Amino acid sequence: MKLPPMTPRSRLTLALLWLAVLALAGWWLGSRVELSGDLRKFMPAAETRAQKLLIDELGEGPGSRLLLVALSGSDAQTLAMQSSALRERLLPQPQFKLVANGGDSGLEAIPEGLRPYRYLLSDTADTHRFDRAFLSAELGQRVQDLGSPAAALVEPLLPRDPTLETLKLAEAWQPANAPQRLHGVWFDRAGREALLAIETRAAGFDPKGQQTAVDAIRAAFAEVAGNSGSRLTLSGPGAFSVEIGGRTAKEAGWIGTIDSVIFVLLLWLAYRSWKAPLLGGLPLASGGLAGLAAVTFFFDGVHGITIAFGFTLIGVAQDYPIHLFSHQRAGLSPWASARALWPTLGTGVASTCIAYFTFLVSGVDGLKQLAVFTIAGLGVAALTTRFLLPGLIDPTPRDAADSLRLAELWERFARWPRLSGPAYYLLAAAAIAIAWWAPGPFWQNDLSRLTPVPAPALARDAQLRGELGAPDVRYLVAVEARNAEVALQVLERLQPALAKLRADGAIAGFDSAARYLPSQAVQRARQARLPERSQLQRAFNGAVSGSAFTADAFDGFVDDVETARTAPPLAPHDLDGTPLAAAIGGLLLERNDHATALVSLNGLRDPAAVARVAKEHGAALLDLKQASESLVAAYRERVLLALALAWVLLIITVWIALGQPQRVLRVLSPMVLTTLLILAVLRGFGVELNLFHLVALILAAGLGLDYALFFDHAGDDHAEQLRTLHAIIVCSLTTLLVFALLALSSIPVLRAIGSTVALGVVCNFVLALLLVRQPATRKAVNT
Amino acid sequence: MAPPLYAASPEPARADSDWILARLVQPPPARTSFVELRGSKLLKKPLRLQGEYLRPDVDTLVRQVAAPYVETTTIRAGEVEIAREGKTPRRFSLARVPEMAALQASFGALLSGDRRLLEQHYRLDTQGTRQRWTLTLTPKDPVVLQKLEAVTLYGSGSELRCIETQPVNGESQRTLLAGAARAAGTVYAPGALATLCYGGAKAQ
Repeated sequence: MKLPPMTPRSRLTLALLWLAVLALAGWWLGSRVELSGDLRKFMPAAETRAQKLLIDELGEGPGSRLLLVALSGSDAQTLAMQSSALRERLLPQPQFKLVANGGDSGLEAIPEGLRPYRYLLSDTADTHRFDRAFLSAELGQRVQDLGSPAAALVEPLLPRDPTLETLKLAEAWQPANAPQRLHGVWFDRAGREALLAIETRAAGFDPKGQQTAVDAIRAAFAEVAGNSGSRLTLSGPGAFSVEIGGRTAKEAGWIGTIDSVIFVLLLWLAYRSWKAPLLGGLPLASGGLAGLAAVTFFFDGVHGITIAFGFTLIGVAQDYPIHLFSHQRAGLSPWASARALWPTLGTGVASTCIAYFTFLVSGVDGLKQLAVFTIAGLGVAALTTRFLLPGLIDPTPRDAADSLRLAELWERFARWPRLSGPAYYLLAAAAIAIAWWAPGPFWQNDLSRLTPVPAPALARDAQLRGELGAPDVRYLVAVEARNAEVALQVLERLQPALAKLRADGAIAGFDSAARYLPSQAVQRARQARLPERSQLQRAFNGAVSGSAFTADAFDGFVDDVETARTAPPLAPHDLDGTPLAAAIGGLLLERNDHATALVSLNGLRDPAAVARVAKEHGAALLDLKQASESLVAAYRERVLLALALAWVLLIITVWIALGQPQRVLRVLSPMVLTTLLILAVLRGFGVELNLFHLVALILAAGLGLDYALFFDHAGDDHAEQLRTLHAIIVCSLTTLLVFALLALSSIPVLRAIGSTVALGVVCNFVLALLLVRQPATRKAVNT
Repeated sequence: MAPPLYAASPEPARADSDWILARLVQPPPARTSFVELRGSKLLKKPLRLQGEYLRPDVDTLVRQVAAPYVETTTIRAGEVEIAREGKTPRRFSLARVPEMAALQASFGALLSGDRRLLEQHYRLDTQGTRQRWTLTLTPKDPVVLQKLEAVTLYGSGSELRCIETQPVNGESQRTLLAGAARAAGTVYAPGALATLCYGGAKAQ
């Protein structure tokens, strides 16, 4: 590989060209990558019923789609007007399934064509015959209605609907536990805040969909509120995820900026060249883009978590060019240097890549993506360092081995005692003991705790949820049946039992599709109880003549009842396009050969009692939190299994590369002890471990392996030892600073990754010195 | 000839809205009987109701019908609850019946002497003397104006005798109060009740 030496100018041009190609590729990829926030892709296949429902049908419970809105800061009447105006603005937007503020009278819920069906939807026919006595009593009530403040409301309805079924249905369809209404809209108990419940079409786990929904609400409110001084409070899972997503992105953003500055400064300082940071960043950037491209090529969409985990894992590639820089000196061709370093570098890369292959057989889409990303990323970063970078670096830099300070430092390190076998095992045993016996749960399965909602916001959410009677986000009752009709029948049998639970205080309320649409069986039974046209006409005529109403006051009533009596009963799809469809849509999920009906619960106090009642009626109480946690646990099990396999593969690879068992042991021992020590420290401080810790541990292990390999590679040549020391100090310092900053973050995800890796870098560096370094005696005396 | 010094003027003092409002103030709890006539094209003849208006506290207005049937309506914070014996109470928002809302608001504002609140919703127009005055409230809100033309109060001295509500569509509804309601005890004919309502303040 003898190439004519290049001028500094052409080297720089080539480097800039490389950068330009990367930028172009990045732009092209950016326009093609379909980033998915869908947690389902990152999780293993659902197995339990609750998991299946969570993953396949819901994404998340209907409660998680609900945004709770409170308007405050103005007088009640102003707030009521703003609430109505907000609803009017949001209602036509397709991204909202439901915008409820209590202002909907419900009269509009039944479209004109379905009006006669009120006699099948309302339960009046269950308990009353439409005979003369009943109709007379009803007409008597209507006279009173006309004499009451409700007159203006009732009068237009009366001619077709003397029994006021329309109002009855409108009342029945009001949310089961609706808050108090003031000035026509919902208010909290104190009457200070106007309340709205808004259901988005986007699932709770869809951050982009939730973001647009939240933005739309804020924009509409800004228009509505003007300068009235009213305030908007948005709560609910979607609002939280948007806020936390924004905060995480912001914090990651500024940490990233500081990290970049530190990286540039450190490399510039270490190699006294402003070109070092540019060249040093190229392999990693190439690797990242290659990983992204590979995932885009092999998979439908790239998961956001793949990118986050993936870039963390290939962070180790940052060290590759540093080794090349630190070993470069006058008189040595960069190509020859790269060739000399390659066995060591290659061993590290190959063993890590082979280890990641195990993720491919994990059976989880997200992990496969991660494997493809890291293998492609590390591979490309290593290959570019080996085959492209040598042509671009300055062939005659200052030799790191000439540094007196470095020599002094090495001298001092040389005086450190080596860690003896027994001490090593004692330390390892102590770490294991602490990690194992430290109090508190070992694993944290609750993904939501990684991105915690501030306590005041949670309290506010609970308060609004209580006021609005909003459904529980965690629990719901599910009825599985072969079709919607059977599901509705089960719901109808369940209804009285749930009402009893409500009376007993086990729940504060519930809602199901059966409240809006009776089963066809019930509708047919009601049809059978409606009188024939002539019979009804006779009874009604008699009732009217004996009342205060004029004989021609009612027109159309008899026709409507006759239509209801003879029409085919309503099925769920008959409601398509009506406001009722939105109410039922989230509660009754129909598939080709299967239907799932959900009962949302609110104010759940006794899950065990509800579970028992549900089971008695062929339904089940689902705990979605438990389901998602079990999925996380299943996911983690796959990761751990893959890691165990990876460990075996890694040992084999290193063994093959190094040949001698003694060397293999020496190289692997720092990363093993580091892993144990990190675990002990984290557990000792009461940290519950999560997937992000696990990923960070893998990165730390990779770093440790590389440090050890290079110390091992340096052998006993003093100058080579100094160059290696220089490289590893630069490597570990850049990594340490980057991750130490992350460790200071207020976001637990970033803190988990940051603290683990930062700790790992320190341990790995120290342990590599204590365990792997060769005695530096021979030449050290000469200097 | 010297002009009569401050002799009692034969001209009775004119009423102005401040004077009327000051007279009408009635701190809760307060109650007054009423007689109301309700007409509808659906009914053979107007409905004559008799009962009491109660104001147990500043924010609440209760309408108790005693005859021809018993019914209690409670209006509070823009919400109406109608309770009948043996039935579950029915609730609805005043917002859905703007003319009712206007009436209720004016009633409350009147009884608390809250001129500012009254003028927020209505244009006030006073006529007549202190002995026989009318106060006409014309809604300012266009939504209310679509349904309600005006509310006219008829009174004598410190007594509010009648409230006449003129909807945009349909017949005017009259509520006779206090002395007028007592006088209407046995009067059923709509014409006679209207006369009682106006108390001579308005030509028939």
